[in-house]
Amino acid sequence: MPNLAIERWAKSASFAPDAPVVLTLEGPHGPIVHAVTKAAAERGARVGARLTDARALDPALTAIPGDPAADGALVERLAQWAGRWSPLVEVDGDPSRLPGTGGLRLDVTGVAHLFGGEPGLVRDIRHRFAKTGLTSRVAIAPTAAAAWALSRHAPCICGPDVAARVAPLHVSALQLDPGIVRTLERLGLKTVAALIGVPRLALARRFRGAEDVVEALDRALGRKPEPLTAIGTDPPPRALLKLEEPATHPEAASQALERLIPAFVRELEDRRLGARRLSLTGYRVDGSVAVASVATAIPSREPRHLQRLLADKAATLNPEFGFDAFALSAEWTEDLGAAQESLVEEPSGTRELARLVDRLTVKLGPRAVQRPQAVESYLPERASGWISALAKTEPVALPSAQRPQRLLDRPEAIDVIYATPEGMPRRFMWRRAIHDIARVEGPERIAPEWWRQPSSARLRDYYRVEDADGRRYWIYREGLIGDGRGGLPAWFIHGLFG
Amino acid sequence: MPEKVGFSRVKLVRTGDMPAPPATPSPYVELGVTSPFSFLRGASDAIELTLTALSLGYDAIGIADRNTLAGVVRMHSACEGAGLKSLIGCRLDLTDSPSLLAYPIDREGYGRLSRLLSLGKMRAHKGECELSLEDVANHSDGIAFIAWPTDDLDDFERELPRLCDALTSLRHVAASWLYGGGDSARIERLDRLAKNQGCTILATNDVHYHAPDRRPLQDVVTCIREKVTIATAGYLLNPNGERHLKSPDEMIRLFSRWPHAIAATRQFADLLHFSLNELRYEYPKETVPEDRTPQQHLEHLTWEGAKQRWPGGIPDKVLKQLNDELPLIEKLDFARYFLTVHDIVAFARRLDPPILCQGRGSAANSAVCYCLGITAVDPATSDLLFERFISEERKEPPDIDVDFEHERREEVIQHIYDKYGRDRAGIAATIIHYRPRSAIREVGKVMGLSEDVTAALASTIWGHMEPELEDARANDAGLNLSDPHLRRTVKLAEQLVGMPRHLSQHVGGFILTERPLTETVPIGNGAMDDRTFIEWDKDDIEELGILKIDVLALGMLTCIRKCFDLIEQHHGERFELATVPQEVPEVYDMLCRGDSLGVFQVESRAQMNMLPRLKPRRFYDLVIEVAIVRPGPIQGDMVHPYLKRRGGKEPVTFPCPDPEHGEPDELEKILGRTLGVPIFQEQAMKIALDAARFSSEEANKLRKAMATFRSKGNIAALEEKMVGRMVARGYDRDFAQRCFDQIKGFGEYGFPESHAASFAHLVYVSSWLRWKYPAAFACALLNSQPMGFYAPAQIVRDAKQHGVEVREVDVNLSEWDCTLEDGAMRLGLRQIEGFQRDAAARLEARRPYRTVEELRSRGGVPVHAIQRLAAADAFRSLSLDRRAALWDSRALRQAPDLPLFTYAQEREEGAESEPAKLPVMPLSEHVVNDYQTLRLSLKAHPMGFLREDYARRKFVTAAQLKSIRDGKRLSIAGLVLIRQRPGSAKGVVFITIEDETGVANLVVWPDVFEKQRKIVMGARLMAVQGIVQRDPDSDVIHVVARRLEDHSRMLRHLSDDALPSTLSQGDAAGSWRAPAARHPRDVEIIPKSRDFH
Repeated sequence: MPNLAIERWAKSASFAPDAPVVLTLEGPHGPIVHAVTKAAAERGARVGARLTDARALDPALTAIPGDPAADGALVERLAQWAGRWSPLVEVDGDPSRLPGTGGLRLDVTGVAHLFGGEPGLVRDIRHRFAKTGLTSRVAIAPTAAAAWALSRHAPCICGPDVAARVAPLHVSALQLDPGIVRTLERLGLKTVAALIGVPRLALARRFRGAEDVVEALDRALGRKPEPLTAIGTDPPPRALLKLEEPATHPEAASQALERLIPAFVRELEDRRLGARRLSLTGYRVDGSVAVASVATAIPSREPRHLQRLLADKAATLNPEFGFDAFALSAEWTEDLGAAQESLVEEPSGTRELARLVDRLTVKLGPRAVQRPQAVESYLPERASGWISALAKTEPVALPSAQRPQRLLDRPEAIDVIYATPEGMPRRFMWRRAIHDIARVEGPERIAPEWWRQPSSARLRDYYRVEDADGRRYWIYREGLIGDGRGGLPAWFIHGLFG
Repeated sequence: MPEKVGFSRVKLVRTGDMPAPPATPSPYVELGVTSPFSFLRGASDAIELTLTALSLGYDAIGIADRNTLAGVVRMHSACEGAGLKSLIGCRLDLTDSPSLLAYPIDREGYGRLSRLLSLGKMRAHKGECELSLEDVANHSDGIAFIAWPTDDLDDFERELPRLCDALTSLRHVAASWLYGGGDSARIERLDRLAKNQGCTILATNDVHYHAPDRRPLQDVVTCIREKVTIATAGYLLNPNGERHLKSPDEMIRLFSRWPHAIAATRQFADLLHFSLNELRYEYPKETVPEDRTPQQHLEHLTWEGAKQRWPGGIPDKVLKQLNDELPLIEKLDFARYFLTVHDIVAFARRLDPPILCQGRGSAANSAVCYCLGITAVDPATSDLLFERFISEERKEPPDIDVDFEHERREEVIQHIYDKYGRDRAGIAATIIHYRPRSAIREVGKVMGLSEDVTAALASTIWGHMEPELEDARANDAGLNLSDPHLRRTVKLAEQLVGMPRHLSQHVGGFILTERPLTETVPIGNGAMDDRTFIEWDKDDIEELGILKIDVLALGMLTCIRKCFDLIEQHHGERFELATVPQEVPEVYDMLCRGDSLGVFQVESRAQMNMLPRLKPRRFYDLVIEVAIVRPGPIQGDMVHPYLKRRGGKEPVTFPCPDPEHGEPDELEKILGRTLGVPIFQEQAMKIALDAARFSSEEANKLRKAMATFRSKGNIAALEEKMVGRMVARGYDRDFAQRCFDQIKGFGEYGFPESHAASFAHLVYVSSWLRWKYPAAFACALLNSQPMGFYAPAQIVRDAKQHGVEVREVDVNLSEWDCTLEDGAMRLGLRQIEGFQRDAAARLEARRPYRTVEELRSRGGVPVHAIQRLAAADAFRSLSLDRRAALWDSRALRQAPDLPLFTYAQEREEGAESEPAKLPVMPLSEHVVNDYQTLRLSLKAHPMGFLREDYARRKFVTAAQLKSIRDGKRLSIAGLVLIRQRPGSAKGVVFITIEDETGVANLVVWPDVFEKQRKIVMGARLMAVQGIVQRDPDSDVIHVVARRLEDHSRMLRHLSDDALPSTLSQGDAAGSWRAPAARHPRDVEIIPKSRDFH
């Protein structure tokens, strides 16, 4: 997959297909070009060049930070997916480190006939990769090293005559270190054929250890075995139910769910996992599927909880011509140790709340269920916000100054008698009632957030005041006389203490 | 190389429009002041703080930066200028207790504070300071302290008794009105706490900036410090903008409940008697023998030196000058300074072999410096003004900068440390300021702009002088400068420019003192081991009248010394900088041809083109040559007028003011030496002073505006002022405008006359060496790499063209350095990339060798080094070519260096039964490999292999250019050596290409450049269709490019011809080029060009 990084990016990006975009990685001396679009390549951007050099050629290049970890993850996923062609799939190279090295190795021994022979297999692979938007170069060869070489240098289907196919290739096709390749070039041994022509002993003596050229040659020509180590699969927790007869009644899904949950929960227990997103899949007789998915606020494997979450959605699955199998699987899990909350089964706050959130989310949709979240801002009305109840929370510091328990939705204008310019308030009128101020503390001065508010915004002086009846209010004066941002300052009440 | 003058210090000078300092002491004094030298905390510089203090009615102001005295000199200087009293102190942030403000009461106290800070800094990493309360207690005599409460008063309540126990003199606790809601209660509590400990609270506003509108910048620097964006900074920022300097009345109002807190500030301030003026500088004493006074000794050395310089008698002119200079030096008491510099220079000369050195800068104006051997510009033949060096009016110590050979400067530095001790010698700091680019980058990051946008902003807004370009370029980059967020970002970046970012070590500015340096200024660790540096920079030092000697490194001196050595060795003549025959006409003939590759300063393309036009015939012409190819004169459009006048095509006239406004010859004095055209930096500034009647403060403002920030409004105002005033006084508007443009061009790159003269001397010496001893000169140049403008390949080609035979690197014949063999040059092992010097030493010890194997077994040369030698084709004396030698060397095995092991392995592996047959390496591939391993090839030029092809296509060679008439169309191809896009050339790109016959100079106009940018900037091998342009006066030939082609791929054929050209006969996968996944390094066949953009 020579263009994996840029193609993965292009799928998710909103850029025009002919935009000159380069993906970059941080290098020791500034960003390094990691992948380029076709348009960028035409403008001189090359993989491995420094971004500043590429920009010197064309200042209009758009640079976007690459994400090799995600590239690597994609290759891993593709390796799983490639299981459709072969039971033995191996990720080749490390795309998260070296751009352009991402590849898959498939052991297709005895497989090709299923796809109409080797040409058919190659066609199928290339076709399906193309459908996912990825360029692929495919070679089939008797040895893994030869397939590697050919796929990169001359894609073809290679019969038993490996040596003949590989011989004309440049020595870099043998997966050698660039330094060795250069030395070989200097020695005039530029092709595999030239290398084959040199006495083995002489070659072995000159390239040893990590530089072993003879071994690389042997691997390519099949003189030395190179077994594949297929990727380990860690399938998601899954419970399966096969029905003898296709079920067409509407409750089929709900009933199946009930029967699946115990086995599913057992698997979660065994693997010490809790589900955060799970789905019930119904396989219909005609080959189509119906899926119901839910998410949870905290990892869970409590049978009744999961059952209640999925029940409603399961009921909506339409059997059409009938389901013949159901699967319950968790797509997103988190570690969850064995836990006992209390000696007797008492409802716990966090868990019950989490379950409530889950149930509400299922019923009302994830957007509708939100939770307050503190925001670091001195402005009281900005100091709290809402986030999705299912989202992760970060602990946020609270302001050190005292804040009232109740904040009015919006500050209400009041009339205040105070000693100008910056004296303490003496008396204020709010909602037609007059309050004489007995005690006052302040001011707490909060300046506008200059980076987001217009420059005409005025500062606020907050006072905590207590009236003659002992009621406490949080009032503020907006602006100062002579601050050049408006006329006389105005007063507002913003909150009530206790 | 242009001199980066950087931010020249702005000095505050009293003017009429400044309010007078209050007649009576103000009732309140601000002591808690943080300046930008508490890095990334304060947001207003000393001058802003001082001017605000002055206008608010303060008579004194304190400064207390965190664990540093780095900013105190600026505060001191600003206060002196404004007529205020500066209170010098610092804030001690301690590891184990609340912070303290520390204000020395007297000189002794200051010395202790400085020692304390040095102690803390020497313990910690660069830029940090670790101090405990115990350390402070041990240095507390003569220092007044103020305890600084922590945020948590419960904590502070516990700590305060401990502070009071440790520091018996502690009597004050700082209290600030924070506008945090509970201020009254907080101050009340502090008052109680203080009273319980027998202390009193002292009011301060914890000042971080001079005016409320600086709050945004303060927030931004906080974000930079905490590495967050403004949107996410949250409670890291201050809730309000109250940390500005408030008026005494305002402070009295805020503290009306605690009048004693206000009174305490006044009493505290009145207690402090220390001023930085007390740091009387004392020169080291050991430079003078017991029985003489410094002046006597200096005079003695001067006359001795004069006798040596002029064995036939001192010229009258010099005699007169010496008799002028010496009394002035005596009067100003600078004798010790001269002696100290002389001592260092004498040390360098005394060494065996001596280190070559030469003074640069204004010292070249002094005959005494010449006699002492500090400078090499002969006062008998030049007439520079001594007043530029030392003058009675300017009470500053003279500035003597000395260049040493770059490879051996460290010896001089260590000598200084040895002789004066680390406690008396230190390297000055350089304050790294925010420059436009770094400022916009950091502010952009804080404001949440992407790297792309900030990069675009940085390159567009500040890349160019012309304002109309800016908007256009910004639009090109897709930036909308009317967007308020962007505008705000730019404005904040403007404010940040010029703020200090961190302290770094000066390249070589030493200060030497008689008493321990730590008592004058804190010393901290440098990033380099074994280097310590003081907290003050050169301006601070100058401000306090402390001696500084710049010990600088200059590559050309290394080269010249090596050349002198080679000449002595092979020609038996010993030369010194001052004894090189002067004014040899053939040397000037050579320069007039523009034949100056490798010569100091005048080897750049622009300089080489200027030489034939300027036609230097005497030393002073070289001085002008050095100074004229600079942004200043070019932007001021002074080059052509000068050339015309020099060529006699234009009469020499002096612009003069209207008779009623002044003397008609007021500019003749300034411009007489340069034919009425201002060329040197000081001339342009002098015009501002004399012809535009700028006050010295205005001139300073002008200098600062140019050097620091090209803010449009500011410059336009100054421009109007200077041009307007000159016109009003009767000058021609065009002339005035050009003078201003020139100052604009000097901006950051200034070149004063004396400096140009010092450099011109090296220009002459290196030209003479190149002319008289081309082989030795090329040899010395190669042995001094990396330096200069050209790569080894060009130096070697140039030497060959001057008839020098160059011989290849060889294991049996080459030394580490390049050497001379009967007039021919033998390349040294140093030319081999990656070859180590110690391997060379082993190799040389056991010569000669007959087989590759012997190098390892007998010579003990490491195998990887042998392989490098083989790759560099250095085994020809063994009749082995590169390939054979490499093959043999690969078979060697690095074994422990014991005979037993060697034999054991030999036997184990046995001999090879059949020798491998390797294909013969074609010459073209040899050349490519030569470039890869040696960066040059003596066998052939890569273009030579392509010539047949190009000749068929009617391409001309560089050599043929000379015989082609002006205006003819032609095609030419060559390797790109250098690409330049000077800022002063309005987008024109200059490219130098090289083929097997020589170099050709291309000019690419902006329209062609825009169309073919990728080729212009990217091609290694370039084919050009263009038009020949000849300068009739100078014979300089340019090819003006019309169309360019990138032929870099042709280079691949040189080494890849053995490869089958198409490999992709697979299935229907389509065709794509063969080794796609190769590292770009491997594709580099020819070393990269040097690009400047």
